[in-house]
Amino acid sequence: MAIDGLIILDSAGRPIIQSGFRSTSPSYALVHIDAYNNAVAAAESKPGSRPGDIDPVIYVPPFNSADSPSACCHVPCGDLQILCPLSGDVDPLFAFAFVQTFVDILTEYFATVNAVTLKDNFDVVYQLLEETLDSGGHPLTTSPNALRDIVLPPSLLTKLLSVAGANFSHTMNAGSSASGPFASPIPWRRAGVKYASNEIYFDTAEEIKAIVGKNGTPLSCNVWGVAQANSRLSGTPDCLLTFTNAHVLADCSFHPCVRQTLDRLQRWARDKSLSFVPPDGNFTLFEYRYAPAASSTGTSLVASQGGKDNDPLPIALKHSFDITNTSCTFEVSVTSRLTTRDIEGFVAKLYVGDNATAIKCVMGRGSAGMSRGLATETGSGGSSWSFDAKSKVVRWEIPKMASSSSWYLRGSFNSTSTPPRPAHAIQTHFEIHSYTFSSLEVESLKVTGEQYKPYKGVRGRTSGNIEWRW
Amino acid sequence: MSGQYFNSITENASRLGMRIQESISEHTRELSITRGASTAYLEAPDDKSKNIRKQLDSNSDREKLDAMKRLIAMISKGRNVSEYFAQVVKNVASHNLEIRKLVYIYLLRYAEQEPDLALLSINTFQKDLTDINPLIRAMALRVLSGIKVPVIGSIVVLAIKKCAADVSPYVRKNAALAIPKCFELDPSHTPALITIITTLLRDRSSLCIGSVAVAFEAVCPTRLDLLHQQYRRLCRILVDVDEWGQVDLLSLLLRYARMMLARPDVEGDSIDPDLNLLLNSTEPLLQSRNPAVVLGATRIFYYTGPPSRLSKVTQPLLRLLPGSKEVSRIVLVYISVIARDSPYLFTPYYTRFLVSTEDLRVVKLTKIQLLLHLLTPETYSSILREFIDCADDTDNEVVTVAVQALGKCSHQIPESTQTCLNALISMIKSRHDTVVSSAVLVLKILVQNELEVESHSRPIQTQQNPGMSIISHLAHRIDDIKHPQARACVVWLAGQYAASDAPSADCEGMHDWAPDVLRKAVKGFINEDPIVKLQVITMAAKLLVLNPTDRTLLLLGRHTLNLAKYDLDYDVRDRARMVGALLVGVLPKEVNGADEVPEERGGVVLRREQVRVVLFNGKAGVVDKDKPSDDRSLLGSLGMITGRPMRGDDILTDWLEEGIEPSLRTNPDDTTTPSAIPTAISSRPHSKATSAHASPVILTPGASPSGSAMRDSSKGLWGDLDSFYAEESEEEEEDVGSEDDEENEDDNDEEDGEEVDEEDGDEDSLDATTNETRPMLQPSVGAS
Repeated sequence: MAIDGLIILDSAGRPIIQSGFRSTSPSYALVHIDAYNNAVAAAESKPGSRPGDIDPVIYVPPFNSADSPSACCHVPCGDLQILCPLSGDVDPLFAFAFVQTFVDILTEYFATVNAVTLKDNFDVVYQLLEETLDSGGHPLTTSPNALRDIVLPPSLLTKLLSVAGANFSHTMNAGSSASGPFASPIPWRRAGVKYASNEIYFDTAEEIKAIVGKNGTPLSCNVWGVAQANSRLSGTPDCLLTFTNAHVLADCSFHPCVRQTLDRLQRWARDKSLSFVPPDGNFTLFEYRYAPAASSTGTSLVASQGGKDNDPLPIALKHSFDITNTSCTFEVSVTSRLTTRDIEGFVAKLYVGDNATAIKCVMGRGSAGMSRGLATETGSGGSSWSFDAKSKVVRWEIPKMASSSSWYLRGSFNSTSTPPRPAHAIQTHFEIHSYTFSSLEVESLKVTGEQYKPYKGVRGRTSGNIEWRW
Repeated sequence: MSGQYFNSITENASRLGMRIQESISEHTRELSITRGASTAYLEAPDDKSKNIRKQLDSNSDREKLDAMKRLIAMISKGRNVSEYFAQVVKNVASHNLEIRKLVYIYLLRYAEQEPDLALLSINTFQKDLTDINPLIRAMALRVLSGIKVPVIGSIVVLAIKKCAADVSPYVRKNAALAIPKCFELDPSHTPALITIITTLLRDRSSLCIGSVAVAFEAVCPTRLDLLHQQYRRLCRILVDVDEWGQVDLLSLLLRYARMMLARPDVEGDSIDPDLNLLLNSTEPLLQSRNPAVVLGATRIFYYTGPPSRLSKVTQPLLRLLPGSKEVSRIVLVYISVIARDSPYLFTPYYTRFLVSTEDLRVVKLTKIQLLLHLLTPETYSSILREFIDCADDTDNEVVTVAVQALGKCSHQIPESTQTCLNALISMIKSRHDTVVSSAVLVLKILVQNELEVESHSRPIQTQQNPGMSIISHLAHRIDDIKHPQARACVVWLAGQYAASDAPSADCEGMHDWAPDVLRKAVKGFINEDPIVKLQVITMAAKLLVLNPTDRTLLLLGRHTLNLAKYDLDYDVRDRARMVGALLVGVLPKEVNGADEVPEERGGVVLRREQVRVVLFNGKAGVVDKDKPSDDRSLLGSLGMITGRPMRGDDILTDWLEEGIEPSLRTNPDDTTTPSAIPTAISSRPHSKATSAHASPVILTPGASPSGSAMRDSSKGLWGDLDSFYAEESEEEEEDVGSEDDEENEDDNDEEDGEEVDEEDGDEDSLDATTNETRPMLQPSVGAS
């Protein structure tokens, strides 16, 4: 399995960085860039299709009769677009997995990935490309820990040295073989890590994804969680992490440090404790699905999948739409169901269709409809709405929803030609800090192999993506 | 007290820190300029590039680095900078690592275009191959193998051979990756390369085994016999390999299993232990975070596992869906393919495939397709509701497919027919053309199917018949149906099924609504779309045939034909002429002769019954069939996603009836080293052990070939398939043969004769050394 190379485009569709392409015509990369830009233009100009609605795998017909057809996989990343041309028998998942890994590496190196940082550090990016991708298109070294030894991250020190004219990087790299590249016996962990204080932090981020039907009952509802860790531990610690309520975790997937060697995996299967030697720095330890009913296997799943067994959704949304031949009026109200916490960053999005014009909205706090007077009194309470004429989406934002509070949005729009055709669903997104659905709790963290007792920190947060159909 | 003291210290410290920070930022104002300059490299105008030559020749590393960055920036912009090749090559021996890396990057791009100049630097590369830094060794090999000059093929082979025996697994990995390039350059080196691959296959480090699989697939994909002895070990170390290596190794093992192992039973109770080993070792990989690995493992279960174990893949595949939208778009296609054969795996989880308005169009279409596979008597009502919701989508293509899915649903689950019909009829009232036209088209098919079924059991006449009641419903709503295609369809239906034996007040021989539809259609005839006009003419003809005596109908029909005769569209005029001619024998003479001079016409005049056959028969039974699923492309191939044949789309061989003799796979090394799985994960003393593990693999030509004497004859003689068969026949001929004889025979049979044998000897002697060193290591392993 091999990809052909990588091309990084800026927001205008111009290439910033290209990897080498092997044994293909010089125009190969250009053909793919064109194919992508054409697809973008087509999605924007075609009536009825939403901008950005492009198949992530674009078929690229053969450039001339001697060529074979190829495909262009593309992934957005901030304001950039990363193209990954494929030809021959390659699983597109392989391409997407590699692009994701590469983006993770870039993020690790430059903190933010955008056109400016890449242009600033293009030499580092080229070195990274060289080390992560063989010229035959096979991934080489993708573990951030190993890469840090080979390609120096841009830092004040290296800049200082380059200005001073002195260059110590070669001595640093080629120095004693103990700290040199690939000296570590564990591929994902650097050798000889030392910290003054030994700490490890766990962030669990959960996301609820639900679709609520026209009658207001959830059709599907699942909670997915990711445990991110930031390890700052010296030496080669062998950690054993146990949870108080591990039985709520299902469909887990693990970082290689847990998967490597069967013993560790079997340990998870046996007593649900995680045994691992962490990489240094940030990494994703494991991902899971929150399954409150541990015995939800087999036939009872149909019922439990419906979300009835899960926690009720943290918000309730009511809506009414009235569509005539030329215009549409709508009214949406949202209520927080949480009693003790605030919901933050609430955003509701409604696609109003191609021909929508003259959009007007009123919004406020309080229950909608009946209590107009009350609403005007309290004002908008920090909420705001906007309309993006390019994507034809009405956005309604409430930065902070106090517990059990209600908010409403009333609006109308006209349609120039055909009857209005808004999307029949409202997308909502929100966040809740210091809260998880699973209330996953770390019971203990034991470190063997090293003398110190590490400090551990655990945080949780929740985000939600709920679609309300009407 | 002490706390106060401490506070003051920290305060001072932070103050000091701030001051240092300030002074640094002051002193490094120049730095920020260089930072900006880095961007300036990319945006610099080209006239500056004249200096590059001078800079590259200068003595200052800083100048050189600057020049190299400038060159890389120009490469990035798509300029051809091969003109500087000569100057760049000179710097390949720079002692500054950063410059050297950039030089390598440059060389890798342009070595192909400037082979002659690249040759100049070969000495440097060869020297670099012995550098103490593994990074340099690996890069040197990479550039060396990237130079496409067939002359140096043998040098490259030597370099690969040297690196394949390197201490560092990283260098060995690069050696494996260089093999395919060397093979492309000059296939005549294949035997030597295969030998290196064979050596590398036995590598103890899990780091490079994935790249060896890549080399194997590129150079000798058919020599699966080389894997016999390594198969079990490869299975066991699978879990330790890095994720990209796992993907390549899985596809190699998949091919091996299909080629060499016995087909498992349907029940899965008698399964080849070696296949079982593969499945067991693959299972943990389903928990990988890398979607490509999950799919690779899924392929193993899907293509080699007994059906009873296929359920293992369900949850891992579903887990990938909420990830990135790109991944979910691909995974949905794969799930859809698996669900086509084994829907039971995914039926309980159909709610995971509900369509979101935010999904990409292609994702929506795939989900609808997938939900169709999951229809069962238990799930149909919810899935049906989902299709109905999809018909509200803003994308016409999605709407059409969703409405068609409703039709298929009613076809697959007879219980759902009534719900489907109700939904479709309510869709006809929609404001949106697409919804209406799709609904009508699907209704037409449904009604026809319905009537088809009915006609087998009892005659169509009864009014209660659901099919007929739909038609009458549509007929009454003809004015509301605006979309031309839908309108044409309704008119056609009304004409086709107008016949009725029931006594009627208005018009004998047909349903009451039929003449009415014609009347309404004719009224606005000139404004209709051509396809509607065509159907109106046909309908008029059908009604006239059903009842040629009714005066009103006759006038209406004549009016229709007259209108059509002078229509703008020639298709319509043609149809009118044809229908008129067809009806000559049907219509009563006095009407015919009233406004037209009867001409003498040739040909046959059909009787009424004959015309009726022509107009009505052979139209029913238009069942929409799914496209035959000729889609035989493999799970995880590009062709499956693009829906078009791509180059090199693989085909998996069918199972052997009986597997290859399992004793071929016994590897004597396995028994001597029970801890074949690297014990890398452990504390300090251990790391020594692993590096020692890796180090003894040094190919010394001086090693005595007498090592071959030590090898177990059962394994050593069957080095490959040919010799195995050769030997078997040998044994049949003469039952007792001395070992020496056999070995001679062996030599003759092998194509690459001596070379391979010699190599074998080397490896064995190597093994001997590893075996010797191992006992010394044991204590430390045990200690940890």
